[in-house]
Amino acid sequence: MFPQFGATAETLSKASSMVFRIGTDAHLYDDPEDVNIAPLLDSKFDSEKCEALKRLLALIAQGFDVSNFFPQVVKNVATQSLEVKKLVYLYLLHYAEKRPNEALLSINCFQKDLGDPNALVRAWALRAMAGIRLHVISSLVLVAVGKCARDPSVYVRKSAANALPKLYDLRLEEHTSAIEEIVGILLNDQSPGVVGAAAAAFASICPSNFSLIERNYRRLCEILPDVEEWGQIILIGILLRFVIARHGLVEESIMFSLRSTKSGESEKNGEATKISNKEDTGYASGNDDFGLGADMSGNIDLELANMVSRCYIEGPDEYLSRLSYANTGPSELNVAQFTSGKSNDDVKILLQCTSPLLWSHNSAVVLAAAGVHWIMAPRENVKKIVKPLLFLLRSSNASKYVVLCNIQVFAKAMPFLFAPHFEDFFICSSDSYQIKTLKLEILSSIVTESTISFVFKEFQDYIRDPDRRFAADTVAAIGLCSQRLPDMATTCLEGLLALTRQEFLSSDFGSVDGEAGVLIQAIMSIQSIIKQDPPSHEKVIIQLIRSLDSVKVPAARAIIIWMVGEYSSLGETIPRTLSTVLKYLAWHFTSEALETKLQILNSIVKVLLCAEGQDIQSFKRVLNYVLELAECDLNYDVRDRARFLRKILSSNLDSQGLEEETNILSLNKDLAYVLSGHIFGGQTKSSSPEPINYRFYLPGSLSQIVLHAAPGYEPLPKPCSLLRVDNVDQGTNGLERARNSDSFDTDETDSLSGSLDEEGASDYGSEHSISGSNVSAGSNETGSASEGDDNTDPLIQISDVGNAFENQHGVSHSGSADLGELISKRALESWLDDQPNSSNTSTSEQSQVRVSTARIFIGDIRHQVKTKSYTLLDPANGNGLKVDYSFSSEVSTISPHLVSVEVFFKNCSSEPMSDILLEDEESNKDSNSADQTLVATDSSLTSHNNVPILVPMEEITYLEPGQTAKRIIQVRFHHHLLPLKLALFYNGNNLPVKLRPDIGYFVKPLPINIEAFTDKESRLPGMFEYVRSCTFTNHIGELNKDKGDNLVVKDNFLVICQCLALKMLGNANLFLVSVDMPVSTNLDDASGLRLRFSSEILSNSIPCLITITVEGKCNDPLQVSVKVNCEETVFGLNLLNRVVNFLAESSLAPL
Amino acid sequence: MLQCIFLLSDSGEVMLEKQLTGHQVDRSICDWFWGQAISQGDSFKLQPVIASPTHYLFQVVREGITFLACTQVEMPPLMAIEFLCRVADVLSDYLGGLNEDVIKDNFVIVYELLDEMIDNGFPLTTEPNILREMIAQPNIVSKMLSVVTGNSSNVSETLPGATASCVPWRTSDPKYANNEVYVDLVEEMDATINRDGVLVKCEIYGEVQVNSHLSGLPDLTLSFANPSILDDVRFHPCVRFRPWESHQILSFVPPDGQFKLMSYRVKKLKSTPIYVKPQLTSDAGTCCVNVMVGIRNDPGKTIDSITIQFKLPPCILSADLTSNHGTVNILSNKIDKLDLKNLPNRPYKGFRALTRAGEFEVRS
Repeated sequence: MFPQFGATAETLSKASSMVFRIGTDAHLYDDPEDVNIAPLLDSKFDSEKCEALKRLLALIAQGFDVSNFFPQVVKNVATQSLEVKKLVYLYLLHYAEKRPNEALLSINCFQKDLGDPNALVRAWALRAMAGIRLHVISSLVLVAVGKCARDPSVYVRKSAANALPKLYDLRLEEHTSAIEEIVGILLNDQSPGVVGAAAAAFASICPSNFSLIERNYRRLCEILPDVEEWGQIILIGILLRFVIARHGLVEESIMFSLRSTKSGESEKNGEATKISNKEDTGYASGNDDFGLGADMSGNIDLELANMVSRCYIEGPDEYLSRLSYANTGPSELNVAQFTSGKSNDDVKILLQCTSPLLWSHNSAVVLAAAGVHWIMAPRENVKKIVKPLLFLLRSSNASKYVVLCNIQVFAKAMPFLFAPHFEDFFICSSDSYQIKTLKLEILSSIVTESTISFVFKEFQDYIRDPDRRFAADTVAAIGLCSQRLPDMATTCLEGLLALTRQEFLSSDFGSVDGEAGVLIQAIMSIQSIIKQDPPSHEKVIIQLIRSLDSVKVPAARAIIIWMVGEYSSLGETIPRTLSTVLKYLAWHFTSEALETKLQILNSIVKVLLCAEGQDIQSFKRVLNYVLELAECDLNYDVRDRARFLRKILSSNLDSQGLEEETNILSLNKDLAYVLSGHIFGGQTKSSSPEPINYRFYLPGSLSQIVLHAAPGYEPLPKPCSLLRVDNVDQGTNGLERARNSDSFDTDETDSLSGSLDEEGASDYGSEHSISGSNVSAGSNETGSASEGDDNTDPLIQISDVGNAFENQHGVSHSGSADLGELISKRALESWLDDQPNSSNTSTSEQSQVRVSTARIFIGDIRHQVKTKSYTLLDPANGNGLKVDYSFSSEVSTISPHLVSVEVFFKNCSSEPMSDILLEDEESNKDSNSADQTLVATDSSLTSHNNVPILVPMEEITYLEPGQTAKRIIQVRFHHHLLPLKLALFYNGNNLPVKLRPDIGYFVKPLPINIEAFTDKESRLPGMFEYVRSCTFTNHIGELNKDKGDNLVVKDNFLVICQCLALKMLGNANLFLVSVDMPVSTNLDDASGLRLRFSSEILSNSIPCLITITVEGKCNDPLQVSVKVNCEETVFGLNLLNRVVNFLAESSLAPL
Repeated sequence: MLQCIFLLSDSGEVMLEKQLTGHQVDRSICDWFWGQAISQGDSFKLQPVIASPTHYLFQVVREGITFLACTQVEMPPLMAIEFLCRVADVLSDYLGGLNEDVIKDNFVIVYELLDEMIDNGFPLTTEPNILREMIAQPNIVSKMLSVVTGNSSNVSETLPGATASCVPWRTSDPKYANNEVYVDLVEEMDATINRDGVLVKCEIYGEVQVNSHLSGLPDLTLSFANPSILDDVRFHPCVRFRPWESHQILSFVPPDGQFKLMSYRVKKLKSTPIYVKPQLTSDAGTCCVNVMVGIRNDPGKTIDSITIQFKLPPCILSADLTSNHGTVNILSNKIDKLDLKNLPNRPYKGFRALTRAGEFEVRS
C-alpha cells in the first residue's frame, strides 16, 4: 500500500487509514485481488457477490481486463438484489461486445425483468439489454423498446427513448422504419421528460425526417420550457432546422443580409434592388431603435454577415471551395426562400418559446437559444441575446472559452451588438491565454470612436503585463483597432512609436524573447496602419528609418527596411534621405541576419527601379557592392538571390552610365527590365481588402470551436426544402398520420392499462413468465407489425411466380432475355405452379422493384440425406468397444420430450463382449445441480419430470469380435445444449460416457405448404425472428466435380440447392418446404436463392421456421443468411447458431 | 454524444473510466492527453476543447481532478462541459469534496452515479435531489452500519416518485415537523482597478441560495424591492418564466433542500467597499512593495478574511514580507498570500446576505 514504509509501519498506516476510510470501498480499490474473486461470485450471499463485483469494477476502473469472469457474472443477473443487479449491469455493459455468446445467456433475465412491477427494474433491464448491442438480439430489443415506449412510467419511457440510438447504432436496415415509428410515438409523449430524450433520439437517428416534427411542431414548442435542460439543447436545434426547412429564412434577420449584398452587386435585377432598398430602410429604422446616437455606427459588416449565413447553410468547406474556383453566381437564394418573421406564426412561436430559455442556468441551453435568435430573430431583436451571452462569461472557465468563441463570430458580423458592453471583455489576470486572445480579438472588432479611449487605456495596462506573448497580442490588437477606426490612426501610431522607443531601451540589455515579439508586433502594427494611408504618415516612416540603428531584432529591422523600399518615392523627405540609408544598409550588410539581408537586397533593387535623376548612379554602385558581398555570403539563399538579381538587372547594372542613355534597348533587356519592374517596382495599390477566409459553423457547435467540420456536422437544411417534398407526400402523410393516431390510441389503452398489469399479476413469479410475456407481447405486436412488414418484405411470392410466368407471354421484363435458358431447363426441374396469378394488390407495386423469382422442387432429396454420426466411446478408451451414435429422424412415440438416437456398437477387440447396456447415470444426482440451475430458467424442458431420462434399451447380450449391433435409444436431454451423462455397462464394467445433444434433432419435420409457411412466418416477426449469416463453401467442390465429369451438365443453381438442402437435412430434422430460384440475367449469380424449411419443436409443438437466403456468385463462397422464426426465443437462437455452425463448417459434402 | 468519461488524478493516473457507448475508447487517449499536458504546460490544461488525433476531448479540472470526456462526432461542446461540471458538482456534494483519495475510496458510488447521470452518452438524471434518492449518500451512519452489518446497499430499491411528477426536481411529498425556508443572498464583487487607481469595472454577481424544508407541494413567491437594478438573471428550472416576464416576480415550486434559485448581475457600480493601494519603490537592486488595504468610508458591515495575492516576477531572488496584521505565506511559485483574518460572521437563521470578493483585481 505504501511501499516507502517498512513492513511494520505498513500495518500501522493501514490501521490509521482505516479510521478515515472506514466503511468505504477503499480497500477494494487498493487491493482488488487480495482475495479470490471467483468463489465470491458463486456465493449464496448477496453481500459477498456484491464485494466480488465491486472488486471487478475496481479492476475495470484501473484498466485491467477482467472479461474472463464473464460467465460467472452473467449468472448473477438473475439476482433479486438491486445493488447486485446494478453492479452486474455495469460489468456486463463493459464487456458484452467482447463476449457476445455469453452475453446472450442474460437475455432471458432481461425479458423477465421487463415484466417486473418495479419501474426501476424495467428501466434498468431495458438499458442493459439495449446496451449489450448484439445484432442477434436486436429484434428482441426492438420489441422491448416498443413495449416500454408505452409503459406507464415516465422513467421507463425515457429509457426507451435512450435505447433507440443504441439500437440504431447496430445499423440494421430492416429495423429503421420501426425505430423511427417509435421515435414518433415518444415525441408525441405527454411528459416533457420523455420528449427531451426522444428529441435526442430523433437527432441521432433521423435528423431530417421532418414529418415527425411537423405533426407535433406546436406542441413541441410549447412544451420546450418544461423539457429537461439537456433535451432542450437538442430540441432547440431540431426545431430550428425544421422551421428553416419548412418556411425558409426570415427576411428581417441577419441571414437576409446576404440577399441584399448580392442584389447590390447585380443591380440589373430590378426586383432585387427593390428589396435592397426596402432592406436599407428597415435597417435604418432598426438603427434608430437602438437609440445609441451617431457614434453607434450600427454597421453590420455586410460581407461578413453574408459569409456567415452562407456558411451556416452550405457548410464553410463547400462555400469556400466554390469561392476559390470561380465567382460565378452561386445558387442564389431566391425571395421565395424567405419568410417574414412578423407574419409567420411558426417562426414567431419558436422565438417566443426560446426566449425564456435565455435565462436558463444551463449555459448550453442559453447558447442554443441564442443561436436560434441569432439566425431567426428580426435584426432589431437580436440584441436580446447579448446580455445572457455575456452573463455566461461568469460561469466556469471552460464554458467561458466556448462562449467567447461564439461571441467572437457574432461580434464580427454585428459589432454594434456588443459595442456597449466592451467592459465585459476586459481581461482579468486569472484568464487563460486563449481567453485573453479571444477577448482582445473581440475588443478590437467591437471598438467604436466613443469607446476607444477606454479600450486604449486598458491596452496600455495590458502591454505591461508580465506575459509578453499577451503584450504582443495587445499591440497587434491596437493595429486592428486603428484599421477599423481610421480616425484613431494617429493616436495609435503615437502610442506604438512610443512603445517601440521603449522597447529599444529594454531590448538593449536583456534580450528576452517576449520583448522581441512585442517589438516586432508593434512595428507590424505600425506597418499595417501606414499601409492604409501612406502619404499622411511620412514622418512616421522617417522616424522608423532613423531608429534602424537602435532596433536590433532582425524581423523588426526587415520590416523597416521593407518600408524603405516600399515608400522610397513617397513625399519629399524620404527620397532625399535614401542615399544615406542605402549606404548605411550596405555598410551593415555583412553583420545582418538572413532575413534582413534578403530584405536589403530587395529594397535596394526597389529603390533603384523607382529612382530618378542623378541618384541612380550612386544607387547602382551601392547595389553592385551589396551584390558582390551577397554573392560570397555563407547562406545559399542569399547567394542565389544575388545571382538572380544580377542576371535580371544586367541591363541596369552593366551600363555604368556609358551606354545607358544611348544604346539601343534590345528586346531582351527591355523584357528583363519590365519583368524586374513588375517584380520589385510594384507600388502598393491602395490595399485591396483581403478576401475573408474565416470559417463559420453553426453557433454552439463543436466545429465552431475546433474550426473544422467535425464528423456528423450538418449545416442548416436548405431553406424551404421541406415544402417541395411535402407537396408530393401530402396525401400519404395525412393518411399515415390518421392511421398512426388510430393505432396509438388503441395501443395505448390496451398496453398501458391492461397488458402490463395483467402480466404483473398473473405471470409474475410463475415459471412460465417468459413464454407468457412473449405471447402477450406477440399479440400486442401483431397489429402494428403486420403493417410494418408489408413494407419490408411481404414474403408472399405468389405474384412473383406469376410474373415469372407472364414473361413467357411476352410481358416485357428484366429477366426476359434469359427466358430461353429457363425454359430449356425445365427438363431438369419440374416447375411448380401451385397458385394462379391471384390479384394481390398490396404487393404488386413492390414486385416491380424486387427481382422476380421462380420456385423449383427438388424431389427425393431425403433419400440422399446421410446423417452424421458421432463417437460416444472410442475403442481405445473402451477396451476395444466402439460406440457411435447418430440422431435419427424418427419421432418418439412414448413422449414428445424424447429424442431418438441410433447407437451402433462395434467390437473392435479380439475377444467377445457381453452384457452391453447403456443406462442413465443416476448414481451421481448432485453432479447435475450446477447444470440444473442454468436450466431452471428454461421451463419447457424441465417441467416434465415424470418422463424418464432414458428409455432403457434392449441389452446386447453378446457381441463377437468385429460384429456390429444397432440399438435405438430414446433420450430426454435436460437442455438442448448440455450433454447428458450416461453409464455404459459391458463385461461387468461401468464406464461413464457423455451423450451430446444436437439441437437439430429437437425438432421434427412439419409438413406444410408454402402458404402456410408464409402465414406462420408473418405471425412471428420482430423479437421472434433472428438472422445470422455465414459463408457456405460446400458447393464449390461439388461444382468442380461436375466439371471434371462433363457428362451431364447440371445446373449450377440446382447443385447449390442440393448441397444446401442436404447439408440442412443431414444435420437437422426438418421439412423442406420450398426452393425459390432467382430469375436473373446473370446465370452465375446465385443471389436470391431461397430455401425454406419448417419444423416444430418436439416438446411443445411450437413451429420453428428456417429460411435460407443465398447471396453471391455460384463458383465463389456464398454468403448465406439464415433466418429463424420461432416463438421460443432461446431455442430459436440456439437452433440458429447450430445451423450457422454446420453450414459454415467446411467438411466434405455429405453426399 | 459522449463516448467515454475518464477521471484523472493530478498526477495523470486514470482513476476511473466509464464507457458510454458501443464505440469504446481506449484509455491510451489519456496517455496522449497527459503527454500533451506535460509538454505544453498549463495553457493546455486550461483548454476546454481539444482535438486529439482520434477524438475530441472536453476537459474540466476541479480541485486537481481532471474530468475528461471523449467524442468523435459533432455535439454541442457546452453540453459536454456543462455536464462534466455537473458531474463534478454532484461528486463533490456526495463525497464532501474532491480529491484523489475520496474518489478512489468511493469508486462504486462514482460508478453508480455516472451510470445514472448519463446513458448512451446523453445526460439522463442530473437533478441532485433525485440522484440522492436513487443512490444513497455515504455518511457516517451508513458507514458504521456497513461495518457492523457487513451489508451496504446504497442503491435505492424503487424509483423516486419525482421522476414521474410534473416537478421532477422535487421529492415527492416530503414531511417536516417545522416548515422552514432559508434564503441566502451570496454576492460576489468583481472589480478591476487599473494602474492609475481608477475603477475600471465593478459589478456584483449574486446568487440567491435557498434551503427549503417544506412539506407537501408548496408554491412560493419571492419579489424584489427593486428588481430593475438586476442587469441580468439566470434561473433554476423550477422558476416560472411568465411571472418574471410580466411582473418580475419569482414564482416557483422549490426542490427539497439546498439549491440555487437564481443568479443575477448588477453592473457598473461606482465604488468598492475596500481600497487596495500598492506602492512600488525600487532602489539599487532592491525593490520595496508596499500594499495598503483599508475600508473605504463605512460600508455598514464588517469586512473579514481579506486575502491579498500578488505575483512577483520570476527574476526576484528572495523576498522578505511582513504585515502588521494577519499572516504571510510565500508559495513556491512566488505568489504571496497575505491573509487577514477577523472573526467570521456567525451564520444566523432566516434571511442572510453576504458579499464576497469575486475577481477583485488591482493592477500595478
